[in-house]
Amino acid sequence: MAIANTLVPARDTRALLIKWIVGLLVPIAVFTFVWSGEEIINQSLLTILGLGGVSDIAVLIEITLFIIVFYATVIALAGYLVAADSGQRGMIELWIDIAVFVLLPLFLVINQGLIIGLAVCAIIWVIYFFARRSVYRALHYTPPIPSLNLRVLDAEQRVDLRNRAIAGSFWFSVVLAVTWLVVDLIFYFIGQLPTALLIWVVIRTLLLPVAGYFLGRLAAVIALRRTVAPKNNGNGENSANGGARPTKRRRQLESLSATRFREEAQDLVPNDLPARSTGATRFYLILLVAFVVFYPVIDPFLFGFGTNGRLAGYGDAGYYVILALGLNIVVGFAGLLDLGYVAFFAIGAYTWGIIGSTQLTNVLNLAPVDAHLLSLLFWPMLLVAALVAALFGVLLGAPTLRLRGDYLAIVTLGFGEIVPIVFLELDAYTNGTNGIVGVRSPAFFGIDWSVITPVPYYYLILALIAFSIFTNIRLRDSRLGRAWIAIREDEIGAASSGINLVTTKLFAFGTGAFFSGIAGAYHTAKLGLVSPDSFSFGDSIIYLAMVVIGGIGSIPGVIVGALLVYTLNVFLPQQLAASATDPTSVFYGIQNTLVHYIPGFSFGNIRNLIFGTLLVVIMIFRPEGLIPSARRRRELRHTGEEGVEVGSLDVIPGAPGFEEGVHVE
Amino acid sequence: MALFFQILVVGLTTGAIYALIALGYTMVYGIIELINFAHGDIFMIGTFICISIFGLFGITNSSVAPTGFALVGILLVTLLVSMTLCAGLGILIEFVAYRPLRNAPRLAPLISAIGVSLILEDIGKLWKGVIIVPFPQIFPERTRIGRAMRAVAQDREAAALMGVNVNRIITITFFIGAALAGAAALIWGLKYGNTNFTLGFTLGLFAFTAAVLGGIGNLVGAMLGGVLIGVVEALATYIPDTTVPGVTFGLPHGGAAWHEAIIFVILILILVFRPSGLLGQQTPEKV
Repeated sequence: MAIANTLVPARDTRALLIKWIVGLLVPIAVFTFVWSGEEIINQSLLTILGLGGVSDIAVLIEITLFIIVFYATVIALAGYLVAADSGQRGMIELWIDIAVFVLLPLFLVINQGLIIGLAVCAIIWVIYFFARRSVYRALHYTPPIPSLNLRVLDAEQRVDLRNRAIAGSFWFSVVLAVTWLVVDLIFYFIGQLPTALLIWVVIRTLLLPVAGYFLGRLAAVIALRRTVAPKNNGNGENSANGGARPTKRRRQLESLSATRFREEAQDLVPNDLPARSTGATRFYLILLVAFVVFYPVIDPFLFGFGTNGRLAGYGDAGYYVILALGLNIVVGFAGLLDLGYVAFFAIGAYTWGIIGSTQLTNVLNLAPVDAHLLSLLFWPMLLVAALVAALFGVLLGAPTLRLRGDYLAIVTLGFGEIVPIVFLELDAYTNGTNGIVGVRSPAFFGIDWSVITPVPYYYLILALIAFSIFTNIRLRDSRLGRAWIAIREDEIGAASSGINLVTTKLFAFGTGAFFSGIAGAYHTAKLGLVSPDSFSFGDSIIYLAMVVIGGIGSIPGVIVGALLVYTLNVFLPQQLAASATDPTSVFYGIQNTLVHYIPGFSFGNIRNLIFGTLLVVIMIFRPEGLIPSARRRRELRHTGEEGVEVGSLDVIPGAPGFEEGVHVE
Repeated sequence: MALFFQILVVGLTTGAIYALIALGYTMVYGIIELINFAHGDIFMIGTFICISIFGLFGITNSSVAPTGFALVGILLVTLLVSMTLCAGLGILIEFVAYRPLRNAPRLAPLISAIGVSLILEDIGKLWKGVIIVPFPQIFPERTRIGRAMRAVAQDREAAALMGVNVNRIITITFFIGAALAGAAALIWGLKYGNTNFTLGFTLGLFAFTAAVLGGIGNLVGAMLGGVLIGVVEALATYIPDTTVPGVTFGLPHGGAAWHEAIIFVILILILVFRPSGLLGQQTPEKV
């Protein structure tokens, strides 16, 4: 009976239910029926039933896991969103947003492939933002202020919130189950669905609502964690903390400035834009991680043939991420402009190149090391390469300690030029312009990586990226990381506060170089060769662009920056050049028209032109980077102008009278 | 002794070109503290402009070179046009890529400058192709603006309060700097006889190094740095090659291959002992 009560939505919840169920169901339906969701499930079921499908049992387990994680996360997300929504923003607004930011990319990616699809999306999004802004202006519309809506929830409201979450997940899965049933029946009658799978259709239709109920309870827990609880009422979901958390939270809010308060309000429940709150971000992260981890098995379903080529490309994009994270330590955290980061990358690459091939044993006239043993050596050498790079980072950083600003930049630039020249000219050890070829690829538990499959490299780079992200976050929040940021903000101030400038700066150079050493060793192992051409000043510049475009000092920012720069610099020109040779494509016509006016024009030829233009445009419109770190955003964007100040509210949030003041009717 | 003078002359000529380009770097840096990465590429475009102007006069590689007054006249016109066009390009770049970023964080205009440099490089590539382009061989203050420029360099806001049109001064700086690159372009073409779309990048790097070496923002320092780099580069070619049997002292493949590394090592050494460059002022930081 209690369950039944929670599942029948209260009247004010119904509008929210419709808003979010429709909003989420449409993209999920597109993914399931138009794209590959259904296909993936059916293939795995067919395998279980012994009717064909995928042949490999490991692949089967992986796709099953992916499907479970994917749908479970979406159902729980529905519950969270219904619970967390304050109901201030209208349905239509949300649906337009979902259409533009979810449906449009889905359709474009299905039609045009991942890279071109997302590139077209980016252009449309920019136009959309401008259009929306001018429409708002024309209508004199100002979005509601999140802080006005912040409520302190008492026990009753918390139960209410919990019920809303459960209702959200439950009804979302009911609607999903029914839709799916109808579609499957249609498929069955046109003969596209094997009869054996009808059993599954029945089970699924019954199973989904039950799963929805329990996932809704999970979503409720997540949503309740982000509410502001009243004084002396710390129990509820947080009883384990003995009520310490809400009090602390309130005290924090009390001391915040208006701008900070508005930022913080975005994290709390209820929220005007729950789809952008930190709670929802957790769900997106789970989806993203599931997608990235299981990508090699689901790629054939999503994009068809050519998985290996794509995976190899993404593996290359991965080492850019590590480089960006490493450079971010030097430039972003410590504020030391480094224009020669490529030097450390080269050192890491050559370390494994010299050890991992017959180069060293040939030079020293020794008997070559057993090839298999050499492959196993990759793992310790990955660390050694990183440490060697870090050592050089410290060594080359030492002369720059007295220098400031652009003098520092030119000295690092100098090292970035010297190191590749040394590698190029010391050809006794490095084989000069020819580079070192025949570098062994790693071996792992008897799996031979030299077979032409990029999957092991894909997972290796994923693991390395995960390691880099983890260490970067820990470093940033450590004593050392705070010292770096202090130096960046004010060197003299930091020194007067007792920070040792010499060791702190050298640590920054060393740690930054450490990551590029990892990236270098990986790069060499993946290519199987190392060539002096890959380490020019231009590369250093591109690494710097990744960090600045992403937002210096922001870890998610530089990851996005790295992927974006790699896309703009490598994927996009390739794709454009490929499209331009295809007579059915639009780009074919464009290229042929332009060739008449500009002889020698081709999309492959204007790679730098496109990249450079985009750099300028991005910098003009987002000088602080795409995802600036919170600290820099506060410095650079004065968000205090629009909206009301906290002081103009009747009672300051968190102040003694606040709870009574904003009680819900 | 004759050899020494020969090296010195070669070094001084190259160094003078570096110095001309370095002047542009250092002026812009002095005013808005921006490493104008596009400057080298303006120079490269300048060399292409010169070739095109020669083409308009009917001078190509295969044609007979004019003599006497015609030669001087053509050179003067080319110099003027090249300087004007480069100056226009400089102003355009400043207007499009740097002016919107006047109050942005410091690295934003730097990335924007890199973007412009990449754009110019590809324009050069589309214009003349990826080949090495032969250059026609036709032979072998104290003004008011200056004071305003120094005022803007010292304190932009204070200068604005004193009635200096800051944006105009910055535009003039870009004009003069880019015009000097245009002049350097003609001299380069006449001396070396060829050009290429990647020229801006390499030469720009040396010129920037020269500017820093002399103390960035300091005009005399930029010229000194340019000449110094030119001479070092010329001297480096005389370092023997140890891969040749019997040579024990020197560097593998000879000094010419290492000249960039040598220049940067010298730069680093100088900066270690004089952190603001040769003629740069050590400004104590006030708290």
